[in-house]
Parts: sequence; C-alpha cells; structure tokens
Amino acid sequence: MSAHHIGSYLAIVQYEIRVEGHLSSRWEAWFDGLSLTRADDGTTVIQGPIVDQAALHGVLQKLRDIGVPLVSLSQLRPEGE
Amino acid sequence: MRLEILPVDVVARRGTQSLMANPLIETKLHVPPPRRNLVPRQRLLARLDDAADARLILVAAPAGFGKTTLVAEWLGTVAERGSTVAWLSLDERDNDPVLFWSYVLAAMQQAAPDLGAGARTLLDSGGVATDIVLATLVNELHGVDHDVVLVLDDFHVIERSDIHDGLAYLVDHLPETTQLVITSRADPPLPLARLRAKGELGEVRAADLRFTAEEAADYLNGAMGLALAAADVATLEARTEGWIAALQLAALSMQGRDDVAQFIAGFAGDDRFIVDYLAGEVLHRQPDAVRQFLLQTSVLDRMTGPLCDAVTGTTGGTAMLGSLDRQNLFVIPLDDRREWYRYHHLFADVLRARLLDEDPDAAGELHRRASAWYEDHGRPADAIRHAATAGDVTRAAALAELAMPAVRRDRHDATLREWTVLIPEDVVRVRPVLALGFVGVLMTAGELGRVDATLREVEEWLALAPEARAASGMVVVDDEQLRALPGAIEMYRAALALMHGDIDGTVAHARRVLAVAPADDELGRAAAHALLGLSAWSEGDLDRAFAEYTESIAGMRRIGHSADILGCSISMADIRVAQGRLRDAQRLYEQGLQLVADHGDGPLRGTADMHVGLAEILRERDDREAAAEHLRQAEALAAFGTRQYPYRSRAVRAGLLLADGDPAGCLALLEEAERCYDTDFSPAVRPIGARRARAHVLQGDIRAARAWVRERGLSTDDELAYVMEFEHITLAIIILNDRPPEREVRTVIAMLDRLLAAAEAGDRGSSVIEILAVQALAFDVGGEPTRAHDALRRALALAEPEGYVRVFTFLGPRLQALRERITTGTTRPIPPPADLVDPLSERELDVLRLLKSDLSGPDIARELTVSLNTLRTHTKSIYSKLGVNSRREAVRRAADLGL
Repeated sequence: MSAHHIGSYLAIVQYEIRVEGHLSSRWEAWFDGLSLTRADDGTTVIQGPIVDQAALHGVLQKLRDIGVPLVSLSQLRPEGE
Repeated sequence: MRLEILPVDVVARRGTQSLMANPLIETKLHVPPPRRNLVPRQRLLARLDDAADARLILVAAPAGFGKTTLVAEWLGTVAERGSTVAWLSLDERDNDPVLFWSYVLAAMQQAAPDLGAGARTLLDSGGVATDIVLATLVNELHGVDHDVVLVLDDFHVIERSDIHDGLAYLVDHLPETTQLVITSRADPPLPLARLRAKGELGEVRAADLRFTAEEAADYLNGAMGLALAAADVATLEARTEGWIAALQLAALSMQGRDDVAQFIAGFAGDDRFIVDYLAGEVLHRQPDAVRQFLLQTSVLDRMTGPLCDAVTGTTGGTAMLGSLDRQNLFVIPLDDRREWYRYHHLFADVLRARLLDEDPDAAGELHRRASAWYEDHGRPADAIRHAATAGDVTRAAALAELAMPAVRRDRHDATLREWTVLIPEDVVRVRPVLALGFVGVLMTAGELGRVDATLREVEEWLALAPEARAASGMVVVDDEQLRALPGAIEMYRAALALMHGDIDGTVAHARRVLAVAPADDELGRAAAHALLGLSAWSEGDLDRAFAEYTESIAGMRRIGHSADILGCSISMADIRVAQGRLRDAQRLYEQGLQLVADHGDGPLRGTADMHVGLAEILRERDDREAAAEHLRQAEALAAFGTRQYPYRSRAVRAGLLLADGDPAGCLALLEEAERCYDTDFSPAVRPIGARRARAHVLQGDIRAARAWVRERGLSTDDELAYVMEFEHITLAIIILNDRPPEREVRTVIAMLDRLLAAAEAGDRGSSVIEILAVQALAFDVGGEPTRAHDALRRALALAEPEGYVRVFTFLGPRLQALRERITTGTTRPIPPPADLVDPLSERELDVLRLLKSDLSGPDIARELTVSLNTLRTHTKSIYSKLGVNSRREAVRRAADLGL
C-alpha cells in the first residue's frame, strides 16, 4: 500500500468541482459548508474537504438535482506530494 | 425469513396488503393531472408515438425539463387508444427491492385489477427470489390481450443494484404488448447500447425537451400572456437555453412588470445561475406571507392545508396552496381533489437552500412541527421521519415504540426497516420494547446472530428489579407492551430454534411461552400452540400435532384472526391427508372457505390455498375436472395465497398434467415448484425432488430418477424417519421399475416391510395405502402373485372408503394391470386366504368382539375407553387384514375364519 493510499484513509481529501454559471454564496450551507468561488470565465469552483467517495457523490447528486452543468472535477493533492 | 404458521404479531412478516389503504401512497400511483398553461408539444408526442415498438422509452434530462409533464400528457393519448397505463412516482425511500417491486405490482393492479396478482402473492410470501417474481409477472403480461404501459417516474432516486438487475431482466423479457417508460435525471444502468442497436430503445433527452424558440414564444406570449417582443423572447430562450423551469420562473417574475425589456437585459449578459437568480426574483415579488410560506413549507415532502398551517403556525394553508396552484408557483397536485401537493423538485431544492442560508436553525423546528401534526393525524411513519430529520431521535424512538403493535399487525415491514435505520442503535438499546419490536426485522433479514444478541440484552433489562431499571437508563414508553415481553422473548427463541432445526428447543420455548405469557395474550398463546403442533408434526406425532393446532385456532378464533386460522387449516388438512382421512381434510378446507364467506370482507390470505387443497384431494380421487376448476378459482385468488401457495399450486397442477398423460409438462411445472419450494417450516414430507423422480419413472427415464437417488444418497438399508418416508417409498418405486435382480427385490421388500410397520405405528393411513400398493408391485416383480394380490387387496380396501384412486395409477401400468385383475376379477378369481397373513392383534380382537354386538361406534369407543379416532384406526386395520369393506362383512369373514 502506497503512502498516498494510506493517506487517503487517514486524511480527508480536498476536491475541486467546477460548474457552469455563478452560484451565489448563499448555496454554501446547502453544500455543507464547501466554499464557492466565482471565476471570471463564468464558472463556479466548489472546493473543500470531502470525507469520502460517498460524500463526493452526494455533492455531485446535489448539483445534478438543481440542474447545474458540471464542467470538471479534480482531487487536490495534499501539499508536499 | 418469516414464519407464516405463526400469528402476525409474533414474528414480523413481509407484506404489502395495506399498501393501497394509505392515501399518501396511492398518490404515488397516480398519473399527475395535466399542468395549467401547457404548451402543446406535438413534436415530442409524435416522437413517443413513433417509439411504439421500443421495449423501453427513456426520458432523460436534468430537473425542470418537463419530463414528467410530457409523459403524463402522452399517457392521456395512450389511454384513449385503450392501453392500460400504470404509473409509479419513485422517491428515495423506495430503495428496497421488496418495496420497489410491491409498488410496481400495485401500480399494475391499480391499472388493471388482475394484473400482477400472481407475482404479488409470490413477493408478499417473502423469501422467493426476485427473478421468480418477475418471471411470473412476465408470464402474466404475456397473457394480457391489450397494450400495457408502465411508467417509472424519477427513476434516478433508485440506487440499489439488485433493483437495477431486476429491471434489466424485466426489460429483456417483456412481451411486445408491454412498454416500460423511465424518466430520470441520470441514465439508468440498463443495457442501453444493446437496446439502441436493436432499435428497442426510444429516447427523449435534454436537447429534445428544451423549448425551441417557437415553443418559448408560444409559452411566454401565448400561455402566460406576456406580449414580449420577438427579440426579448429570443434573448430569454438563449439565456435559459430552453430550460423550461427557468423560462417558467422568468415568466412568473415578469408578470405585471412594466420594465420587462430592462428586466431581461438585466440578467441576459451575466453568468448567474439562472434558476437561483430567477427564483429569487419570483420570491422577492411575493407578499411576505407567501414568501415565508414557501420557505417554511419547503421542508415537507408532501403538503396539505392543515399540515402547512401546523408548520407555519398560521392559518389559510389550504387557500394558499390553491392560490399557488393557480399561479403556477411550482406546486404539483398529487390527487384529483387537489388536497395534497408537492413542490416541483427543483424549486423545493432552491427554497430549502435559501431557508438554510437565511435561518440555519429554522428547519429543525419546522420538522418538529410537521412531526407533531403527523402524530396527531395518526401517521406515525411520517411523524417519525420528520422527528429523525429534526435530530430528535428520542421523540422518534418514543413514537416508534407506540406505533409498533399497529405497524406489525398491518405488516408494514418496510416501515419497520426504515425505523431501524432512522433510530440509532444506542437509542434502541436502552428501550427493550422497541428493541424487541425490531427483532422481527432482523429475523426477516436472516440476521439470526443479532436476534440472539438483542434477546439477551432485553432479558438483562428484565432481570433488573423494577426500581433499578430507570436508574440504569432503561426507557419504556408503553407499559402494556413491556408486560408482554417475557412471552415474546420465548416466542422468538422458539422461532430461532425452529430455524436452526432444533425441535426440542422449539418445544421447550413454546412451552415456556404458555407458562409466562399473560392469560389474555391470546395471540402469543395461539402462536405457541401452533409451534407445538408444528414440532409434533415434524416428529411424526400426527394426533398430538392436530390437537395443538386445534388449540391454536380456537385462540385465534376468539380474537378474530381469521387469516391465521386459514394458515393453520392448511397444516391440519395436511395432517389429515397423511392420516389417510381425505374426507376430514376436505372438510377442513371447506370450513376454511366458509370462514372466508362468513368473514364477509372479501377473500383472506390463504383463501387460494383452500382451493389448492381441495384440488389436491379431488386429484387423488381422480376427479380431474373438479380439481381443475378449483385450481382455476385458486388462480383467480392468487393474491390471497400464503407463501406455500406458489409451490403447492404448481405441484397440484403438475399432478393433473401427469394424470392427463403429459409427463413433460408435469416435469416442467415441478421444476418451477422446486424453485419456489417453501413449506413455511412445515416438515418437507413430500419433497418436490422425489415427485420429479416419480414423474421420471412414469416417463421411462430411469436414469434421471437414479440420478436423484444418488444425489439424495438413499439406500434400502437406511434408518427410517417420518420426514424421509416419501423418499424411501420413491426409492422402492424406482428400483422396482429398473428390472431389479431378485436379490434387490428382496431388499426392497424388506425396506417396505419396515416402512409399513412404521406407517402403521404412526397411524399414517395414506402412507399405509401407498406402501401396500408398492409392496404389491414388489411381490409382482418378485414373482409372488398371491402375496401381490393380498397386498393390493388390503391397499384397495383401505383406499376405497376415502376414495383414493391416483395412488394406484401413479405407480405405473404394471400395478394398474394387477389392480384391474383384482377389481374386475376377470382373469382369475383371487382365492380368499385360508388364514390371515397378518394376524389380528389382541386389541383388534377386542374390537372385533364388540363389532359383533349391536353397539354403535361411539359406544364401542366408550366401552374400550379409546377415542373414536383410535377405534376407527383399529377397525380400518381389521377390515384390511380381513380384506373386507364393511362391519357386516367383517363379522361374517371372522366367523368363516373362526375368530
């Protein structure tokens, strides 16, 4: 088992989800406190710690349910890696 | 796992009988009424019509694209063409295979009352694999002579892969007349590519559903009467990308506005999430009271006026909902009376997000109020759900405890399962009543280890002195149920023992139930007697088993549990059949049907089984037409069958096919019967495998029959047991039909002698007749015609009064020929034996002496201080040994023989 693999069990992983359109900050509570940053290219970046895959899918499902188009999804490597 | 032989309240059972009685659930099966301000969508309707040959129509698009509206509109035209339309609106709670398929079948039945009845019985009976339930449904659909359309709305909420698998099977096997329509925000995990390649998939996707510029104009200027300039319409269409929910919100926020063009320009050029922005505009333009109402009621899955009043703490909820409906403010009526509504899902999410943002703590209190309203209105399931969402698990637990008896009585097993998820384990652990209530769920799920652990924990609580209990943290809301716990614990222990095949343990715990259950606990006591009956039966003590069942139904009669009486009647009739008392068995089934008639409230669970039982007896008497008629009646009542019904009805039909000379059809049905074989813990005294082996013999396929013998590891030297009797008799039949060498015939005869002695000792009349008949065959094969005749005569003498016929024909042509020689007496007269092969016992000689007198049967029984049943056994035995059929003949023959 690689160090990173172990790390993914011990540490909460940061994700960055980019969606089309500007979501106002009032949606932060809806997304359980993830931060919403509106970018100049008309997208919104949803970012923050997501405990596991189930929680990640929960966020994606919330996005699907309000009809926000998904642009990209990436895992942010912990610092030092 | 579930025990049908036990009354409902003892072991929770699966079942959905009450599903339809709940109006909130009925709304799930209701095709949504047409929306106001509808834009006709001819191009999409035509597209759906064109997909008439597709097995599956998939309407896939994000929220707010008008999927449901489109399909509901299309169904109107479909229904006009005479198709049957079944609708099911799904929600997250339907992620339970039993519940999901129950709803699907309920939707079918709502559309066409007979549709899916057989499949529903299988499903309700529990423990039957889903593929058999679905195979049955497919068969039923094949028998329908018109088109059927089944709609599954919001299928994206279903995440369980076993439900997906079941649906994939269904799609693959649907007849051409049936079409499945799925609306979903995500493509379902079905083999879409394959269906697409074969032209069997119709698709309507987001790109199709978007309003075109023309439709947008139609909607904004036509339906909504906005009189917008063409350029403004084009701007809106482009900005919303035809997203219908966004256009609707835009229209709502533009109504009554003077600066429409400016308003449009105000958001046309930016990147704001349009639905959120427009919903904000719409909310902003509402009077404060409406705005508050929308935000506060957004916590509800379904709304009705009084419930909204309770949640908002105001009045006028009914009027408010009506007004929202008229203004098209995203409420969707759930029934024709416009009593219950829900918000459009997308709008509800927007509202909830705003509520959470504006007042993070408000939602908890709103859920608590909703919970209180539901509690007051006798809807504990919703009350508990809202309490749990509010985070008030203590309240949820208390409500669950109080609701437990009713939920278990009505067999809302899925509701119970939901509660076990909603209420945390540590909360349950200190509540012995609640904990024991959940044991049924664990039992159904087969988690027997956890059942045992829970019973131990509850016992530990009960072991504490009453004053020490509260101090140790024990919580009891319902003292009435607490009183019944000791009996209930013993009953579960008895059930556990039974599941582990431990008859002694079952008996010991069932006796404990009778010792500790309060005298007025009729249900618990009746269940204990039923378990004692079952145990005695498994051990071959038929008389005692019958007596225990008699006690059990007496108790159930006192509390009006008619369906459970029917359940016990099946076992009692089985016992009578085993005793060779076909007429008594017939009477039990007829009394069962009379009970249903007297009950007067439609058929009861078990009604179908009564007809199957009668068919079985009539088949034995070779009255095939009457038997077939009862099977037809049973089939019509298939929704009212027990868990034994699926296999028993197939086995009887298989027997009829065999009688009609169709062994292949018989074998096919027996294979089906084997797949749904479930004796509900009754001893498996006539296993399907043995019946198949017999059919193979008649078909001349000895190899297949021999294969079964090897598989079962049977031999003529085996130690005998009641539960193996049928298989050992079958073994004898197979060997005798396989040109056995003389040595092997002798071992068969020796085994049959042992079998006969055991059957006689156990008072199993049916077995005695059958063993004698097989013995006749054995003697015939072994070249001992005189002994063959004697055995067959005895069998015939015993068989005649009860009308047994098939037992002889079942044994093949050789025995039939022998029987014909005896009954017609044409070939050669059978010389009466000079003396008895099988001498009368001392007791039988006593009986014979009294038979010579003028005493009546009951008088003789009294004289000998035996029951009438026992006397009957003796006289039957005397008649058979003397080879006579009546008392007068017996007396004459006894005189001839100098007895």
